[in-house]
Amino acid sequence: MTYAPAAAAFLLRSLGLPRIPSSIIVAAFLPSPADQATRIMALHPVDFAIIVIYFAMVLGIGFYLKKYTKSGEDFFLAGREMTAWVAGLSFVSANLGTLELLGWAGNAYQYGILAAHWYWVGAIPAMIFLGIVMMPFYYISKTHSVPGYLEMRYGRAASGLSAISFAVMTILMSGVNMFSMALIMKVMLGWNLNFSIWMSSLTVGIYVALGGLFSAIFNEVVQFFLIWFGALLIPILGLIETGGWSGMVARIHQNFPGQDFTHMWRPMAHFADNPMGVQWVGIVFGLGAVLSMGYWTTDFLVVQRVIAAKDVRAAKLAPIIGSFFKMAVPFIVILPGLLGRAVLPFHLAPASSLQPGQHSFDEVLPLMLARYCGPGLLGLGITALIAGFMSGMAGNVSAFATVWTYDIYRPFIRKTAPDPHYVAMGRWCTIIGLLVSIAAAYIVTHFGSLMDYVQALFSFFIAPLFGTVLLGMLWKRATAAGGFWGLLAGTLSSVAMFTLVELDPSKVSLVALSPLAKPLAVDMWRALWSGIICVLVTVIVSLLTKPKPEAELAGLVYGATQLPSEGNLPLVQRPIFWAGVAAAAFLVLQYIFW
Amino acid sequence: MEDQPGNKAGGGGDRNAAAGDSSKGHMIPVWFFIGLTLLTYGIMILVTGIHELSHPPATVLAELHAPIWWGAIMAVIGAIYVSIFRPRC
Repeated sequence: MTYAPAAAAFLLRSLGLPRIPSSIIVAAFLPSPADQATRIMALHPVDFAIIVIYFAMVLGIGFYLKKYTKSGEDFFLAGREMTAWVAGLSFVSANLGTLELLGWAGNAYQYGILAAHWYWVGAIPAMIFLGIVMMPFYYISKTHSVPGYLEMRYGRAASGLSAISFAVMTILMSGVNMFSMALIMKVMLGWNLNFSIWMSSLTVGIYVALGGLFSAIFNEVVQFFLIWFGALLIPILGLIETGGWSGMVARIHQNFPGQDFTHMWRPMAHFADNPMGVQWVGIVFGLGAVLSMGYWTTDFLVVQRVIAAKDVRAAKLAPIIGSFFKMAVPFIVILPGLLGRAVLPFHLAPASSLQPGQHSFDEVLPLMLARYCGPGLLGLGITALIAGFMSGMAGNVSAFATVWTYDIYRPFIRKTAPDPHYVAMGRWCTIIGLLVSIAAAYIVTHFGSLMDYVQALFSFFIAPLFGTVLLGMLWKRATAAGGFWGLLAGTLSSVAMFTLVELDPSKVSLVALSPLAKPLAVDMWRALWSGIICVLVTVIVSLLTKPKPEAELAGLVYGATQLPSEGNLPLVQRPIFWAGVAAAAFLVLQYIFW
Repeated sequence: MEDQPGNKAGGGGDRNAAAGDSSKGHMIPVWFFIGLTLLTYGIMILVTGIHELSHPPATVLAELHAPIWWGAIMAVIGAIYVSIFRPRC
């Protein structure tokens, strides 16, 4: 685990910068005594061995898969050869990053079980919708990306806008995630920020550059298992300690009297009834119908995993398989947050108002890990967090490489080149994208408030993009001009609403219909309004402009596309059957935790 | 339509379902890597748990000896995966 300083020295030399003594570079990667003194937990040799084996294994998989990664289709789309299970697990794993794990456990501590809305109503309907309604069009059109679909459906303007915004935001988000992960390792283990940033990102860069999407997907599936085995013991032991669910609820009521942290829909009637400042309309329409649909059906980071499926049936099944695992994720993310309320002997606080010696909401998962896990299990838990970071990072990097190469470089810079040229470009921009991410991570290190803005920036594009793609797939009359102006109007309106609230926080009641709305609630409403504006502008401009001939819409739009028949497949092999089972399980969960 | 269920949509020969189906290809299935990882980690955690019988850690519920049964579960699942998906000549 010493290649980070060597790589940093090599990079400095390559950039022609003055030679820096290696002792100084190595010192920049060593932990400081102050960080070591304030860390939450200490690792034992067996924990280090587990982490080192993990790094060796992911790199080994990358080197092994390089020989199978020859063409552009191999590198960018894993040869379109993934089974439904592999694509489905990878689809969920790419979203299961460290920030996702720690952040939502922290949200569960802060808001209670309301945070599970982001896993259930905020994911399951969207995944089912992707599998049953949208996936056939992505797959039949043989697109390599979401912007690629937009180019076929709306032309280069809408595609270019979407591709450039996605590429920039993905790489910035990647840097923000990198910084956040390094900060967590510093707080938890006293690790040096530089060490965490360079070690983990270089490892991801190497295995993705070697094996492309093949390597990213393989590792994501392995990481998926590690995350579960590493995190699952916390809720199991937590429930044993509290005497089960009812014991946990009783302890929460005892520790926090008068507050409801364990019901999902009961406190949703009014804004003032819950700690999030939201009511059911925002959850159902803002989160369920727009924000989650935008993320799960048009964010190329996750959709790319499903496009790599081996046939239409596998592509339809993959998100549905993923939905079952997504439904289970609250067990390892939300439940530890709730258990933290029940068993921790001290109260956590928002990161913005921490007192010395106090822990933030986002530290609840590491604190619970340290509470129950000794040597060995602790190493496994830390490996799970590192695996989560790497799966998210690999998702960002591989999606960026594809969109840059196929949707920006090929249409706008070099239109005709042999396939190996584009593969080489993909490998190079994996590394370059990674270095830009590292640079972004260091910028965030010095300008911490930028992190909130970058995360908000990403959300600006998601909701309008869903409106654009959905109309493109379901409405033959949508035109190229309608698609472009709708997407632009939706995005700009989202930016305007965000700026308005930033400049004058009292305007939050205009956007989210309540002065009590917390940032998560504002996100939902902003998504809803920008999605509506995108759809309205697309419809109006389309009706005023000339539509594409129907012959050009074959394979792209419902009504102009012959969807493949599933023949005489038994019911249990049909995606629609499992979609129904997933929907039923989703409704049962809502009822249980109502 | 070009793509019917069951047809492959891209090149790659029969290495393909190697990602998930060990019977088809030259590529080692991903499930084998998962099995190997779980088996290795399971054994390491199990051995650590046995060592902790005489040196219990300062964690809550240490008396449940979680590393022993959790390590054993991981090792058994890993061994099953390795056995089913091991590369065959």
